[in-house]
Parts: sequence; structure tokens; C-alpha cells
Amino acid sequence: MIDIAGLSKTYGRGARTARALRGVDLQINPGMFGLLGPNGAGKTTLMRILAGIVNPSGGTLRVEGHDLRTESGKRAAKSVLGYLPQELGMYPELTAAQFVDYMAILKGLDEPRQRARRVAEVLEMVALQGSAHRKIKGFSGGMKQRVGIAQALVNDPKVLIVDEPTAGLDPEERIRFRNLLVSLAADRTVILSTHIVEDIGATCREIAVLAHGQVRFRGKPSELTQAASGHVWTVTSDRLEEPEQGLTIVSMLHLSDGIQYRLVGRLVGERAESYAAAEPARPSLEDGYVWLMKSSGGALPDSGKL
Amino acid sequence: MNGASLKYSWLTYRRDQLWFPLAFFALFVVITLIMPNPAIRFTLARAYLGFIVPLIGGIMASYAVLDDPAIELRFSTPVRAEQILLARVGLIVIVQAVCALAFQLFALALKIDLSRLGNVVDVQWIWLLPTLVLAALGIAGSLAGAQTVVGAFLVGTVWLVELMMKSWFELNAKYAFLFLGVFTPGHPDLVLSRSALAAAAVALLCLSWVLLHRQERYI
Repeated sequence: MIDIAGLSKTYGRGARTARALRGVDLQINPGMFGLLGPNGAGKTTLMRILAGIVNPSGGTLRVEGHDLRTESGKRAAKSVLGYLPQELGMYPELTAAQFVDYMAILKGLDEPRQRARRVAEVLEMVALQGSAHRKIKGFSGGMKQRVGIAQALVNDPKVLIVDEPTAGLDPEERIRFRNLLVSLAADRTVILSTHIVEDIGATCREIAVLAHGQVRFRGKPSELTQAASGHVWTVTSDRLEEPEQGLTIVSMLHLSDGIQYRLVGRLVGERAESYAAAEPARPSLEDGYVWLMKSSGGALPDSGKL
Repeated sequence: MNGASLKYSWLTYRRDQLWFPLAFFALFVVITLIMPNPAIRFTLARAYLGFIVPLIGGIMASYAVLDDPAIELRFSTPVRAEQILLARVGLIVIVQAVCALAFQLFALALKIDLSRLGNVVDVQWIWLLPTLVLAALGIAGSLAGAQTVVGAFLVGTVWLVELMMKSWFELNAKYAFLFLGVFTPGHPDLVLSRSALAAAAVALLCLSWVLLHRQERYI
């Protein structure tokens, strides 16, 4: 269980001040929780604060009851969490088993036999038992991510924080990785931060959308999808003329009779007359996200390509 | 720090940094071997122990904490700042100690008279204390500037300035003079100077410990 109240983070001073988080309130329960938002929304800052690496500028934060504003609370929280950072740095000369073993030592697993058993267990969980004694430098991106998850799991954490874990993975690896996270969420809190809407929709029961350091949405993925209901349209045009300002093009599809645009936005007044042929479409989670960003002054430009 | 932890500290240390002290060791061994004059051999041995070992220790320490590919993962573990310092800087001191002791054995084999620097314990002080001070300076500088190069620059500058202005330091700032024991083995204030250097090393390590708590600056 994670409780976040009024959390803020400011980097720099004076004219170079950047406010990464502005009064974030969240309660995260066990299960799979998705954190969605555009680049620069503050997701990684929030993940790093949760991991006890970055100190918040204000607000309160408790991970499994441990107050992250104190050094002792931070250490206690770190012992019950697993973290997979966005930029996963490793020691390429170590084997997968050695790397996970080293992380286990750093996490306080001192008893050698118990540690060896746990290392073997987590490598099996991520299907790397066959490559346990191969050096990491020979691994693919997906295998490295799995080593990353193995090290995050080695202390059997109650909270698992994964920041943009599927970036750079091929589709097959991505699906495998998503499924692995869902299975891990059965008995712990897993926080998945990403800007890939599809990953969230396929895995999370609860989500939050962060933009400009603020929570813009908190609820179920289906609720976010529903929010775009009545604001998603498809228009087929035989000209290569982009729809006017105020609408966001979610996708473009070349058809035999022209280009089919999928649009998100309000069709009212003059604009509705211009798009008389527009047909309402069933919203997807991505449409819901786009609509939320547009309606809440998020980062998406009008008439922009996604 | 247990045996397994030490093993991984060693395995995860950047190999090029470990070649650095070994290369200098080998260089001084070769130069000393080809110099037939005992006086020059003594000068070389003194230079290696008194100047080169501390300089390399300081530069290596500048890179010890921040030049770590898994630094973000390390910071996400409950390892304490003092454990990180001990694991990363301790290893450097061990490497430098091995080099310094091996060179003394080599000097002994060549019958180089190191007793001109004092007794066996005095000889250890001439490399150990400057190494500790420069290592602590390197690590504190790197953490203060949040860049490894800052620490290395500070170490190089202090080392060079003290060597170039040795007479001035000996007269006016003997307690901050890293090489008093090398240049003036029988100096009456040598014990006080050693105490001052030890205090400086401890103070700089304490500063590093404080700075290491601000982990967000280093990722």
C-alpha cells in the first residue's frame, strides 16, 4: 500500500526552477497500477521518489507504512521494494546470476545458501535459468530487462516499481514482459510507469494519468476510455488536407477512396457542418487518453499527429 | 563488508581503472631496473611511494562512486552511504597498498636503502596518509561537483601545487603538506603533520558521507 499526499518536487533554484511534481495525491493498492503520461510529465521523478532515490520537496509519502521523508523510513521502504529504472545500468562483465546475487547482497540477503536459492528462483521466474551463467554483455535488450526484473524481485518485494520497462523491446518480448508483470501483481503492488497506452490497457486495473506534474485522471482504464465517448470520429477524405484546428488526429489510414482519419475532439458549430460526413467511433483507451490531454490542457497539440 | 560483497566490488570495478595503477607500478619497476645508480634508484623508489601512489589513489577515488553503471540500482537498495564509501574507496586503498608493499619488496630485492625515509612504519606513512587524503579529496570533490572530473581535477591540482611549491609549504603550511615525510623524514613536526593529514582525510570522508545522501544529484 502506498499513500501519497500533496507530493511536490522542484529542481533548481531561481530562474532555473523546474517543478516536476505539483501536489500529487495518490493511493495505490496491491495489484497492478499504471502510471501514464507524456514525456516530461513527472513520471520518472515520481518513480524515483517512490524508490527512495529522490527526495520530495513537499508533501507526505508512505510505502508500506514507512515514511520516505526520513532516512530510517527510506531504508526500511527500500528493503521492501524492487525497482527497475528506466535506464537500466548493469555490469556487463558479470553473469546474470552474479549480477542478481550482487543485488541480493546489497539488499541485505546475507545468508549464502538462502541467497543462492533465491537467485535461482527469480532467474527461473523470468525464464533465464538457461542463461544464468552467461555474461550480461551478450544479452539482448529483452533479456537484460528480464535480468532487471530478476534483481528487482530477489528480495521478494511487496512493492515493485518498473519505469518504462518495455521501451525498446520487440513486440514478442513486450507481451512476454507485460504478462510477467501481471503475474507478479497477484501478490504485491506493481507500479508500471509508461507512455505506451497499450501496455497500460493490457495490464492495469487502476491507472493514473500524470501531466505537467499533476494527476489529471485516477480510475479504471474503462473509465478513461468512456471519457472520450462522443468525441471520437472517423472521416474519410479524398484530399490530403488535414482536419482543422481543434481536432487531434489519432490515426491515418490510406484507403482506396482516400485517407481515413480518426479524430478526437468536439464537433460543434461550424466545425460540425464542415464534417457532416464524420461518423462517431467507439473510443479506445488511447482515444480516452488523447481526449483527457486535450480537455485538461495536457501536452497534445491540436491537429497534431501522434 | 563480507567476502562476497568484496568479491563483487572487485568484479564490478572498471578494469581500465585497475590497469592504471598496475601500469605505473610496472613502469617504475622497469625504470628502476634499468637505472644502475643507487642514488637514482632511491629517488625513483621514493617518488613512486611518496608521490605516484597517492596521486593514482586520488584519481581512482574520484571515479569510484559516480563511475558506476548501476548507480541508480545501487541507490535503490538499503545500503548505507558509509557502506558504499567503504566498498568503493576501500578497494582502491587495498589496490594501492598492494602496489606500495610490492614495490617495497622489489626495492628490498634491489637493495635500495629505504631506511633513509625512516623505519618501516615511517615508510608506510609516507604513502598511506597522502593516499588517504587525496582519495578522500577526490571522492568529496566528485560528489560536490556531481562529476568525476571535478574530483580528479582537484586531486591533480593539489598534488601539483604542493610539489611545485614544496619549500613554501614546508615553511608556511607544513600541516597541510602531503609530502613532508618524503622530503624531510626527520622533521620535528612530522607527527603533528601526520595527525593533521589524518584529520583532513577523516573530515573529507565525512563530507563525502554527507554528500552521498543527496543521491538524486548523481543519477
